[in-house]
Amino acid sequence: MTDARPTPEDEMAKHFREHAAVEPPAHLDSFILAAAQREVPVRRPNLWQRWMQACQKPRWQVAFASLIGVALMLALVRPSPEQTPIYDFTPKASAPQAKKEYAEAPAAAARSLAAPAPAAPMADFAAPEQSEAFNAELAEEPKVSKRAAAPVKSLDDQLREVLRLQKTGHKQAADKLLADLHKRYPDENLTVRLKNLQKN
Amino acid sequence: MSAAESSDESLLARYRSGDGPAFEILYARHRQGLYRFLLGLSGKAELAEEVYQDTWLSLIRSTSQPQGRANFRTWLYQIARNRLIDHWRKHGIHNPLHDSYDEQAHAVIDNAADPEQLLSLSRDGQRLETALQNLPADQREVFLLRAHGELDLPQIATLTETPLETVKSRLRYAQQKLRRLLAEEVLT
Repeated sequence: MTDARPTPEDEMAKHFREHAAVEPPAHLDSFILAAAQREVPVRRPNLWQRWMQACQKPRWQVAFASLIGVALMLALVRPSPEQTPIYDFTPKASAPQAKKEYAEAPAAAARSLAAPAPAAPMADFAAPEQSEAFNAELAEEPKVSKRAAAPVKSLDDQLREVLRLQKTGHKQAADKLLADLHKRYPDENLTVRLKNLQKN
Repeated sequence: MSAAESSDESLLARYRSGDGPAFEILYARHRQGLYRFLLGLSGKAELAEEVYQDTWLSLIRSTSQPQGRANFRTWLYQIARNRLIDHWRKHGIHNPLHDSYDEQAHAVIDNAADPEQLLSLSRDGQRLETALQNLPADQREVFLLRAHGELDLPQIATLTETPLETVKSRLRYAQQKLRRLLAEEVLT
């Protein structure tokens, strides 16, 4: 390309650059700069800005409103699917507790077989246990787990449990347990036995 | 990189994408050189102003960019040169740039090649302008593009569609004559 060293031609060019006195007239400067500002190309709006502009135009507003209207109508007219009841068969216990219960279940069954026959049949006894699991949120969580793992209790023990629950302020759980006992032992006068236990 | 340090090409692109102040920087960089080039080439202030204004307005209104290897500076001076030639053609004025000037025949042996002697050159603006107008048009054009356009010789060759060697010789003869004219002015 060109030689970087200054040549006599470059010196002469520099001399002219430094000493030439002429300048473009001020009115030309202002005219050109004003024209440039006046005719600044419009910035092209980005996608979001174009979307917002489209939303401001009446015909697009009508289109969007119609679309939303149709969507709403479809949502309302469309039959909702039948809701199948969801039963939560699992007791509300934490994973380790559930595991423990699962491990202890055969042992408990073995113990129940070895123990003297309860006042009610086995199936009758199992039912309240399951119903307790349905309403696990009503009863205290740790207690339910303990009971599930504990050996079969006598009627008095269960009535004492009712008393204990009443004393500790778990009235709902106590009532529920008492109601279950009424079902399981229809021949027993539970109120009298409860009073006797209270006295003792 | 700040706006003031941006290249001409990026400033033009920014202006084209809606950045108004970018044009002001671009204009400030080239206003003086372009005006002096046009005034020196046309020799008439009124004509120089008209072409100068047309050049900038066409740049403002155009959407085109410098093409190929041309940079903004070459492109700007190309537009201005074309506008001036168009004006001469439109008004039936003979284009002095088309004159073939026999540099060899008009060459004067230059005894003042020493750069030290430049110190004795006239610094008077009017004398510089007069000396410039004494140059043949094609030599004057090359010298103006070098002095005020600050273009290098290959760029001048491309812009004027002239062989590089011819550009070199025109510049050399122009420089020799200017030195002689300005030195004479000082001595007399």
